[in-house]
Amino acid sequence: MHAGDAESSTFFLKFAFSALSATAMTAIEHVVSVRFLQKHYGPLRALGGVSLDVERATVFGLLGQNGAGKTTLIKILLGMLAPTSGSADLLGRPVGSVAARRDVGYLPEDHRLPEYHTGPSLLDVYGGLQGLARQERRRRAAELLDMLGLAGREKLRIRGYSKGMKQRLGLAQALLHRPSVLFLDEPTDGVDPVGRKQIRDLLLAERARGVTIFINSHLLGEVEQLCDRVAILKKGQVALIGTVPEVVGEKASWLVAFDRPVPADHHWNTARLTPAGTDGMWRLHLAPVTGIDRFLDEARDRGLHLRHLQQERGTLEEIYLQLADAGGSSS
Amino acid sequence: MNELADSRGRESACRPGLLRSFAAILRDAWLAFLDARILWLLLAAIAVLFAVALSARVEPQPAGRRYLDLAARALSADMTGIDLTKDSFTDLAGRLDGSLSWIASADPLPADADDGPGTAWSVTLARNVVPVAGSLATADEIASRFGQIPDGRLWTIREIRETTTGIAAAMGSQTWELTVDPGPDLRILWPHRFSLFGDSLELTRPEGAPLGLEVFILQKLLSNGIGGTILLLVSVVVTAAFVPTMIRKGTLELLLVRPQPRWQLIVFTYVAALLFVAGLLGLLILATWVVTGLLTGLWSPGILLALPTLLLFFAMLLSVSVFTGVVTRSAVAAMLVTVATWAVLFVVGLMHMQVVASRIREENVGRPRPVSVANALRPQPQSQPGRREKPAVARTPFHTTTVARVVETVYAVLPHTEDLDTIIDRQLMRDFAVGGRLRQLMESPDFQWARGVGLTLAHTAAFLIAACVIFSRRDP
Repeated sequence: MHAGDAESSTFFLKFAFSALSATAMTAIEHVVSVRFLQKHYGPLRALGGVSLDVERATVFGLLGQNGAGKTTLIKILLGMLAPTSGSADLLGRPVGSVAARRDVGYLPEDHRLPEYHTGPSLLDVYGGLQGLARQERRRRAAELLDMLGLAGREKLRIRGYSKGMKQRLGLAQALLHRPSVLFLDEPTDGVDPVGRKQIRDLLLAERARGVTIFINSHLLGEVEQLCDRVAILKKGQVALIGTVPEVVGEKASWLVAFDRPVPADHHWNTARLTPAGTDGMWRLHLAPVTGIDRFLDEARDRGLHLRHLQQERGTLEEIYLQLADAGGSSS
Repeated sequence: MNELADSRGRESACRPGLLRSFAAILRDAWLAFLDARILWLLLAAIAVLFAVALSARVEPQPAGRRYLDLAARALSADMTGIDLTKDSFTDLAGRLDGSLSWIASADPLPADADDGPGTAWSVTLARNVVPVAGSLATADEIASRFGQIPDGRLWTIREIRETTTGIAAAMGSQTWELTVDPGPDLRILWPHRFSLFGDSLELTRPEGAPLGLEVFILQKLLSNGIGGTILLLVSVVVTAAFVPTMIRKGTLELLLVRPQPRWQLIVFTYVAALLFVAGLLGLLILATWVVTGLLTGLWSPGILLALPTLLLFFAMLLSVSVFTGVVTRSAVAAMLVTVATWAVLFVVGLMHMQVVASRIREENVGRPRPVSVANALRPQPQSQPGRREKPAVARTPFHTTTVARVVETVYAVLPHTEDLDTIIDRQLMRDFAVGGRLRQLMESPDFQWARGVGLTLAHTAAFLIAACVIFSRRDP
């Protein structure tokens, strides 16, 4: 479903969604649907007309510099902030309603868990607020504490926790009631590499279970590994959105290495080669309107065999920094 | 299809009932409450207070003759229909029926029995009637009136026999031989010595003070006074942190994401805090009742009324604390504003009492001074010849001054927490029949307990609703 479709059939769809209510959940493709969302704090514009969709059982990464509007967007989706204009639906229900929050897990950035609790007692309280029965709360808490490497620390108060432990417990409270959407703001903040891997695996398992995950992170490598789709917010607007390959794009350059040395001044008809590194690696820039096949044919004609061929891609970090620079120079 | 059913099942399983949400908030608040170290200090302080109280010794002092005299004096007045909770002793004094009664002799029964509140007496009662103003009484009239101190019966008459001679009767003089048993309320008025740490710290004069007065003071001190004040002050300090801790950045988001309307977080936290303090107050007041009961054998349950009144007072303070906490997000601000509110209410209440007392004083000008039972029982100082009463200085009565008007206006709109205190005082005085300055207030026609309770409740609700509205509308 695209923005245009939704706009053209708004009335019917909204009516249908509200009528179907809970049963519609599984039928909805877009778990999060945001249209022209604006949020102003007085004269300050935090969001300036954001539209995006997040499909079910995908991991969606939201990137952007500090102050780009990421947390504002999440808070609007969770009903904590009222948008100035535009609309946002969560699981087919308008955000802000109690019903829309029932099936949502959230790990805020810089969260502060009440320090007088132990891990199990905190999960018990949050589970109760979430409506879980006592036995279910206990079972689920034990399961999650074990899964997140906090087993054996049940008696320890949170004031004695390390930052990584707090982060794991924060994640446990978000997963407690088996929500179908997770909003995670910097989920691996302060966690060691082993822990990060555990958390990544856990999130991928949740996705496999059908959970939609909305991640807000500065760890671009991690976003690249985890996310199916990403959006980059800049000054309250979506600067880029798409799958990771779509966003980073493909370059017209390749890295090649031959089975024997090639002189640096060797002339090619189909490409221009420049040394790349010391390992006999060359960076290959194809001539305009030339495919890689033509170059491979030329190499074969010259009796050269390839031992390495790899298309060069941009990284999310490059794109991110490019966008940030553009913003820096324009402001 | 299975997926659909699963989704429906989860939907219903995750719909939190009010009770479950409340239980969760209650548990959270309970752990926060237990985490406060000052709470344990408080409990230790209160335990010490009660240990000291339990070290007390309360012993009856010989006083039988004085009490028999008092009963005889009461006989001189027509006490029918007198209710000391409504009528003052001034009214009572106006009911003298033109006769004078006194105890000619009184001997314990049996002769070697103690002079104490449990002893029976053989009494010779004499009565002189002023001709024209009064008439001779029959034995039945004496029997029905002797010892009828209005709050209860001092004595009950087992046997009565008139011994008046014909000539004496002609001169308006009558005598009776009575055998009297102690009445159920005699112990309340009987003077007792009160000392702490065994006999080491004497707190009463050698002749003792009425037991009811001692219980009254002790109960006021332990529950309404030191005990209640320390407990409520500590409760204010502990609970002031509840809301600011809950709504601080990073913690609030973890709660707002739950499927509860926001007002529930505030109201449930409020009720949870109130419940804990109710528990503490309940313990304190119950302990007070048990300790005074064990020490004195007086088990009147009036002090238990202090639980709802102190709790109502705290409910009002807590609503101020919650409101300030929501507005400022600061535990220190919530605590300071609450304590300041308490101080203002206390000062205004105190000044208002002065206004009421001043008004009563003026109304009583020219009327005989009211006397209390406690004062009547105390041995009267011998009048000293040559010592003159100070002439009264003419000055503007306090209740007509501008300050008094301001106090009355402010008092009219503030929660009448002073009235809550008076409710307890009135009840304790009903239980223990002691008078004095408090009785004046108690008898003030201005006193309406329903208005005090109503205004306090209204303020509480207003602060709480304001807190909920602000909290629900504000961006986190």
